[in-house]
Amino acid sequence: MNIVLSAIRNAVDLILPEVALLATVCMIFLAAPFLVSERGEAAPGLRHRWGWLSLIGLSVAAYLWSISEIQPVGLGPFRLDGLAWFIRGLSLASGLILVLVNWNQAEDARAGETQACLLAIIAGVNLVAAANDIVGLFVALELISIPTYIFLLMPRRDALAQESMLKYFMLSIFSSATLLFGMSYLYGLTGTTHLEGIYASLQAGQSQPMPLLVTIAAVMMIAGLAFRLTAVPFHFYAPDVFQGAPNSVAAMLSFIPKVAGFVALYRVLAVTIPSGDWSMLSLSTPLLWWLAVLTMFVGNLLALLQNDVRRMLAFSSVSHAGYMLVGFVVGDAGTKAISGYDALLFYLSVYGAMTIGTFATLAALSTSSRRVSAISDLDGLSQTRPVIAIALTFFLLSLMGMPFTAGFVGKLNLFLVAWNSGGDAGQWLAIWLAVNAAIGAWYYLRLIREMYLSDPVTEVGQEQQPAVMVAIGLCTLATMGLFMMPEWLWQAIQKV
Amino acid sequence: MAIVITILLPLAAAAFLLLMDSRAPASRARWWALVATMLTCAVSLGLASQFVSTVNSVLPKRGIIEPRLEVHHTWMTVGETPAGEPIHLEIYLGVDGISTAMILLTTLLCISAVLVSWTAVQERAAEFYAALLVLEAGLIGVFCAFDILLFYVFFEFTLIPLFFLVGIWGGPLRRYAAGKFFIYTLAGSLITLLGLISMVGMTMQAVPTLTTPFSMPALADALATHPLPAEVQGSLFLAIAAGFLVKVPLFPFHTWLPLAHVEAPTAGSVLLAGVLLKLGSYGFLRLCLPMLPAGCAAVGMPLIAVLSVIGIIYGSLCALAQNDIKKLVAYSSVAHLGFCMLGMFALNIEGITGGVLQMINHGLSTGALFCLVGMFYERYHTRMLSDLGGLATKLPRLGVMMVFIAFASIGLPGLNGFVGEVLALAGMFKVQSPYLNGMTYAALGAMGVVLGAWYLLGVLQKAFFGPLQEPVHDDHAEPILDLNAREMLAITPLALMCLYLGLFPQTLIDLIQPDINGVLQASAAQAQAVAEQVAALSR
Repeated sequence: MNIVLSAIRNAVDLILPEVALLATVCMIFLAAPFLVSERGEAAPGLRHRWGWLSLIGLSVAAYLWSISEIQPVGLGPFRLDGLAWFIRGLSLASGLILVLVNWNQAEDARAGETQACLLAIIAGVNLVAAANDIVGLFVALELISIPTYIFLLMPRRDALAQESMLKYFMLSIFSSATLLFGMSYLYGLTGTTHLEGIYASLQAGQSQPMPLLVTIAAVMMIAGLAFRLTAVPFHFYAPDVFQGAPNSVAAMLSFIPKVAGFVALYRVLAVTIPSGDWSMLSLSTPLLWWLAVLTMFVGNLLALLQNDVRRMLAFSSVSHAGYMLVGFVVGDAGTKAISGYDALLFYLSVYGAMTIGTFATLAALSTSSRRVSAISDLDGLSQTRPVIAIALTFFLLSLMGMPFTAGFVGKLNLFLVAWNSGGDAGQWLAIWLAVNAAIGAWYYLRLIREMYLSDPVTEVGQEQQPAVMVAIGLCTLATMGLFMMPEWLWQAIQKV
Repeated sequence: MAIVITILLPLAAAAFLLLMDSRAPASRARWWALVATMLTCAVSLGLASQFVSTVNSVLPKRGIIEPRLEVHHTWMTVGETPAGEPIHLEIYLGVDGISTAMILLTTLLCISAVLVSWTAVQERAAEFYAALLVLEAGLIGVFCAFDILLFYVFFEFTLIPLFFLVGIWGGPLRRYAAGKFFIYTLAGSLITLLGLISMVGMTMQAVPTLTTPFSMPALADALATHPLPAEVQGSLFLAIAAGFLVKVPLFPFHTWLPLAHVEAPTAGSVLLAGVLLKLGSYGFLRLCLPMLPAGCAAVGMPLIAVLSVIGIIYGSLCALAQNDIKKLVAYSSVAHLGFCMLGMFALNIEGITGGVLQMINHGLSTGALFCLVGMFYERYHTRMLSDLGGLATKLPRLGVMMVFIAFASIGLPGLNGFVGEVLALAGMFKVQSPYLNGMTYAALGAMGVVLGAWYLLGVLQKAFFGPLQEPVHDDHAEPILDLNAREMLAITPLALMCLYLGLFPQTLIDLIQPDINGVLQASAAQAQAVAEQVAALSR
């Protein structure tokens, strides 16, 4: 009995921040339904109680994260290696900003549940990174998906939101099934669900006689996870969902699933394990190479054609998944120089700041009665809402990869890695990346042109939303700070 | 320290202007902008004098690129060298003779740019001057950067303020012009970035001890002892040249330029022609000539010489055919930059000196020409030659200035344009390379001088002399007056500089000579290193 208890204690010790988050989630879910008045409105002083409570929960989790230390990987269900540590910090930071973006997105009656879903998603991302077992990994991924369904529908319940929720639900279930299918083959190959066991078995070459099984496992898992990365051809849901979803959800969807997807891909493909010719890595690299190129081109080219801001940003999110895949494909090829994974993690962090910032500005412009949807809704924004226009321009320039924004450093790192350590394949990736960066500039520039070079036509919301403004401020700070002092984040990544 | 102030001063002023109450009258914004640009100019003069005194005090043991007054700050530590040392990416600022000259040109032109916008820009004036000052800071940054990445950062950054300048305050086609200019230049410079990265990557392979591979002096010195193979240098040259060719612009990459010039507001045109185009030739001078001399000689010289000569003749002929004076001046820029590149890629001391002089001279004279064009556009709301005639009698001061500046631009002896063009052509004339016959190209280039005289004298003849012909200007009730004190203030310093550099070009040559010698030293050093390698192999 004591052994069991101590095993549980050891396991829980590794995921204390998530425990804190999930405790907050339970608290909100249990209390919120009983604290709604008949009319569905909260008392004036209590409107933001759930937001504050979420912030407290996140702060406790962040504190627990800050005192946690990287531990050697054991046999338990969880691990706290460098990657888990880093991803935890990243997701908690983005969670903090997302809570602020989400502050006013839902009406009072549903505000509690909305914030709780967000916290559950954050906990899910952390657990994906912390899982030491493919079953645990899958459960953690579902811990992201299931609250997302609710989250998509909670703040708004019109037809568009319902459609986007349903689309997301169907395709998400499908991708989970694909992933599970691949995982089952992986289990069949290695005889264990434990990640370290799988690595050991692959390294020992047990899969050598069964190349077909390895292929199926790798292809299926990549397909399942590519859905979360919004990699082409699994990106179809993105534009519809982004268009229909509330801004805070779109912000979350553009970033959080990518984090989870890349971490899961890193774990299940056993990319760090050298295991001969028929390794998962040697199979997946050419596949992912094509995925990266296709994702970049399709994302950027289709974004050129969009007339809805959120659809355009959805395709932009697709193209950025392609950029990040470049880092993933290059991987550890050049060991002495920086590795592709480092560049990927850097880009991921930077992308988080700029994409959440972009959607936060849209949230700040939208009111419950009117949302920014068509690109022309941004006409003349520099005159009606100058501060927001500057912030949005800044984020767009960062997405473009222009200097004095973190996006530049992110792309620079990807270029450096792909060109110098990726061999011929990597150099081609770098060239396609450059081509796409130029294509991408065109549609981001289009938004900037609308804001600055056109005269205002439509009324924009003038409501002041302090929480969202704080979120925008934080994102701006991060986007600028990571250009000025990339060293800071870079050191953290080197620990991974 | 002076360098940092020179960059930050206009930036701070821009931030101040943006924070100002947007309902404040335009006059407040322009006075602040004027004060800021004048202060920046004063600081840059201080920087120049500081630089000159440093040069005189230090013994002449120099590397290939030798910046003074350096500022180092580690920006990012990324990966390890093959030898296991961490690689530093730096914020590395400094100045040498060439960059000092370019900074002075920039700060001087910015004052004129503010003065010519004085009444022309009334809408969103604070934002306009803020963009102008940000552009100034970016330009100074390019010339101060001695780290390749930092150079690239500033190089790209200048696109953003200019995009807004053209896009918001430009002519009727401004949206299209701004977009085309931005995307065209960005696409070119992304290829440049790839080229630079691979050049640095290959150098790191060859010289495993290099811990600051992106620092220009360190990279140039490393390459001098371990040159890259000639064919690699050739392809690297092509990649790196991509962005600079667009920026200069050389034929056939020039199509964005006339459009951007015509649509840009006067101040935008002045800075675009005066300084931004020079970023291209400056890039060649900093990143191609010292690092890839063999590539420059084998690929660069024939390619650039052909393109420049085409540019000179084609640009001149296009200018000859224009009715819109602004477009005419824009095409004349294509021709003049052709001279600059023709000289620079003669790859000898006369040619490069001529090329650098041409950079400065063209900045002064074409900047001034755009100011003048802006001034009479403000009066008549037309730039069409066919609408104008005999203005010299009505606007004598404008006429005198126009004649003077046009002569400078044509390259009349005694004015600045002459020295640069003669040196550039003389440099080309001397070239005896297996790849091309210098004399032919020099002769073809010299034809451009004649054509230049033809179209500029044509403008003078048509618009300023002969019977007075003024366009109808109903919408414009104010009487048409000659240049006022403010406009004279904008144009006189430029005109005086044109005269001074025509009479005493040696001042400028003395300033830039050591750095050009350094660049030439690189090709000698690399040739020697190759010879040593061959000798070692044959032994």
